Amino acid sequence: MARYTRRVAGAAIAALLAVGLGACAPAQPGAGSQEKEGGSIVYLDAELSSNTQLQSSGTWQDSAYVQNITDRLIYRDPETGEFEPWIAEDWTISDDGLVYEFVIRDGVTYSDGTPLDVASVKRNLEWQANGDADKGIPANNWFPTIVSIDADEATRTVTVTLDQPYAPFLAVLSFWRTSLVADATIDASLEAQSQISGLIGSGPFYVKSETYGEEIVLAKREGYDWPHPGSEHTGEAYLDEIVIIPVTEDSVRLGTLKSGEADLLRYVQPSEEQPLEDAGFQVLGLQGAGNANIWDVRQQAPFLDELDVRKALQVGIDREQIVDDLYTDRWNAATSIVSPTAFGYVDLSAKLGYDPDEANRLLDEAGFTGRDADGYRTRDGETLRILTFVDVFDSTSKPLFQLIQWQLKQIGVKLDIDETDYANYSNALKDPNVGVRRNGWPEADAWVRQRVNYSFTGSNAWFFSEADPKLEELYDSQLHATTPEQRAEILAELQEYVVDQAYALPIIDDTQVFVLQPHLHGFSWSAEARPYFYDVWTEKK
Amino acid sequence: MLSWPALLRRLAQSVFVVAATYVLVYFVLFLLPGDPIQSRIDNPLNPIPEDQAQAILAYYHLDAPALEQFRLAVVRAVQGDFGYSLTSGRPVADLMAQGIGQTVTLASIALVFAVALALAVALAAVYAPLRSIRSFFRTLPVVMTSTPGFLVGLLLLQIFAYQLGWFSSIRDEGFKSLILPAVALAIGVNAPIAQVLIQGLDRSAKEPFVTVLRAGGVSERSIATRHVLKNASIPAITLIGLTVGELLAGSVIAETIFSRTGLGFMTEQAVRAQDGPMVLAVVMFVAIVFTLVNLATDLVYPLIDRRISLTNASAARSSARQSTSGKSSESTEQSDQSRKVVAA
Repeated sequence: MARYTRRVAGAAIAALLAVGLGACAPAQPGAGSQEKEGGSIVYLDAELSSNTQLQSSGTWQDSAYVQNITDRLIYRDPETGEFEPWIAEDWTISDDGLVYEFVIRDGVTYSDGTPLDVASVKRNLEWQANGDADKGIPANNWFPTIVSIDADEATRTVTVTLDQPYAPFLAVLSFWRTSLVADATIDASLEAQSQISGLIGSGPFYVKSETYGEEIVLAKREGYDWPHPGSEHTGEAYLDEIVIIPVTEDSVRLGTLKSGEADLLRYVQPSEEQPLEDAGFQVLGLQGAGNANIWDVRQQAPFLDELDVRKALQVGIDREQIVDDLYTDRWNAATSIVSPTAFGYVDLSAKLGYDPDEANRLLDEAGFTGRDADGYRTRDGETLRILTFVDVFDSTSKPLFQLIQWQLKQIGVKLDIDETDYANYSNALKDPNVGVRRNGWPEADAWVRQRVNYSFTGSNAWFFSEADPKLEELYDSQLHATTPEQRAEILAELQEYVVDQAYALPIIDDTQVFVLQPHLHGFSWSAEARPYFYDVWTEKK
Repeated sequence: MLSWPALLRRLAQSVFVVAATYVLVYFVLFLLPGDPIQSRIDNPLNPIPEDQAQAILAYYHLDAPALEQFRLAVVRAVQGDFGYSLTSGRPVADLMAQGIGQTVTLASIALVFAVALALAVALAAVYAPLRSIRSFFRTLPVVMTSTPGFLVGLLLLQIFAYQLGWFSSIRDEGFKSLILPAVALAIGVNAPIAQVLIQGLDRSAKEPFVTVLRAGGVSERSIATRHVLKNASIPAITLIGLTVGELLAGSVIAETIFSRTGLGFMTEQAVRAQDGPMVLAVVMFVAIVFTLVNLATDLVYPLIDRRISLTNASAARSSARQSTSGKSSESTEQSDQSRKVVAA
């Protein structure tokens, strides 16, 4: 989830403040101590922590906090996508892909002092796989169907047996949602788990205090010595404390960073990126592995069950213009339905090039040859009109949608953009007339999510009236593939098929923007673009 | 004058208003489409399959019929259990305590600022030596009313927090942190009070009793501060009651900009997510405050002017309210009861 729609200040006010703030430059780099240990930083998040219950939450901010107070069995390198040992110091997978054996690292404890041992791992995996219906806690819907989980104290081994091969299992185990937590958390009520102070992990930081809506203080975990292999150092985290303050108002967040009261923030408008960089701040655009930002095309909406119409939309959107006009070079046009670091990604940019002539030809062929008073295409007197709603989860989506509206107008397609608030968004989308809907975020495994979202037996988010057997077959077979090569081959075909059928219109790759004071060093992030504060140190202190 | 049966009737009326509000708000919330639980189930980042969703709905009793859910809510509310926020999982009572504590402090200080500001503006507008100064202060309330609260807030932050560094824009520094938001709020709400005071001062100054006082050798200063001001204060008191409502409404913006977690903030969060139990609690709190303020003004009028009885106090209040909503000074006819209170 990127951002909700802005509520209070308009762009004019933000611009006014930006001019006024020009005078405040950040401290010059190299001015402070090079001593890495100690110090505290102030992190301004754009959102409040809303729900940290692992299986039911899904917000950017919560996942970023969870990431820093917990560890996972497996680490995934954000650059190579490779899986590496973490709390599971070793693992083996049987040839049939059904039995996973994890050797659990010795000496790891949760922040309440209880051991992270084989029994705890077993309990975590069972809890993730089954949820806890009595407490209203759902299962982790990324998990495979599990036949059994056995823990062997003597060999520190946890053995998981599946009912069928499940290719994304390691990715799921590396995902923040599969973070390992202490018994105290699993035993707690849903309400307690929903608050970050109720989450007891084994990570480099623990939650020292929380005042609702005001701040969350993460403190360094004394004696921590099991960082993931991507870390720059070992032992305890450098920082003593991270003070997380939610500041929902864009201009206040920016003003506070510029005035030097904060050390980093999440999320600025794309138009702010360059001025901040010019002023000496570090501006990072993180793109995680996962689904690209796509428009789901919903088959049951008017006209969208016609392949030619969908294909015309596919080539009628100028993705390069979107990035050039609305975003910065930290963002890029989508080149497939998944981002380039997602497993199995193939570059389909050749199929996604802007081609208005082809779009017009396809629409002519589909019979939309008439024109209405506003110049939009008609067929049998009916205007070629598509309805969408501005995405409440992404604050850049309104200008984005408006630009696409203009682009589609060039090929005679009318895009109606409706708006609703955060609370009503999911309900508004139930309207069968809604033709396209924005979707897609970094994920541990893009394909598990896609299968959940799009398969006919899943959420059927492309609104097929009957299953597309080829699509179902591709989603199923990739899931149960037993070798990465085999899976990659299926995924290449799947991507081509979805793009050719224009079931989804890839738009841009999701980017999370962080702005850091120049005195901050060692900022890193996970494969899903969540920040990791373990290596962070500050010259300021 | 206060009579016991009238007082009891007035109290019963207030209780009825609060109870009726509860029922109404409960069912309006119930009928609205969407809630945080459904949003969580449908969340595109983490959609929850049907069978799992059922367990969640059952946990929250959202699968029960409306009347059954209402019965549960009333039984709990009567026992003092206001449930949990559906979005944050925190007890509604805790969130309300946090929000009310913050907002009452902020609103009280803002009210003091607003009254002081209104008084200063009104006195300057009526008694300042130069005509140009008087007309400047006469137009000032209009300017302040039409300046958006968030603009005032952002400008205050810009100057006093970012540039001068006197205040933190994000941290709670105790009383100090209340000054800027209170000023921003006061600027937003003082204007109607100032306008009513100006009109009252104008009118009272022309009243025959002023001539009488003047003839009796009472000093101009004393006429202005003791007699005319007191005479003009009844509509202003009504307005201060209404201002409480405006302060609550204005705190949504002030608290967002100044990163405070008061009632305005809680309301904004709750409404945005349609967090039913929180919205219900907030609305009930506001309803109770309004009812109490109205009750208090009704009880206070007869104490200021003995000719106002409890039964016609409401009429006085609503007449004063109409006078404040009217834009032109011609529409400020006061009811007979609230006029001409000559100081003893």
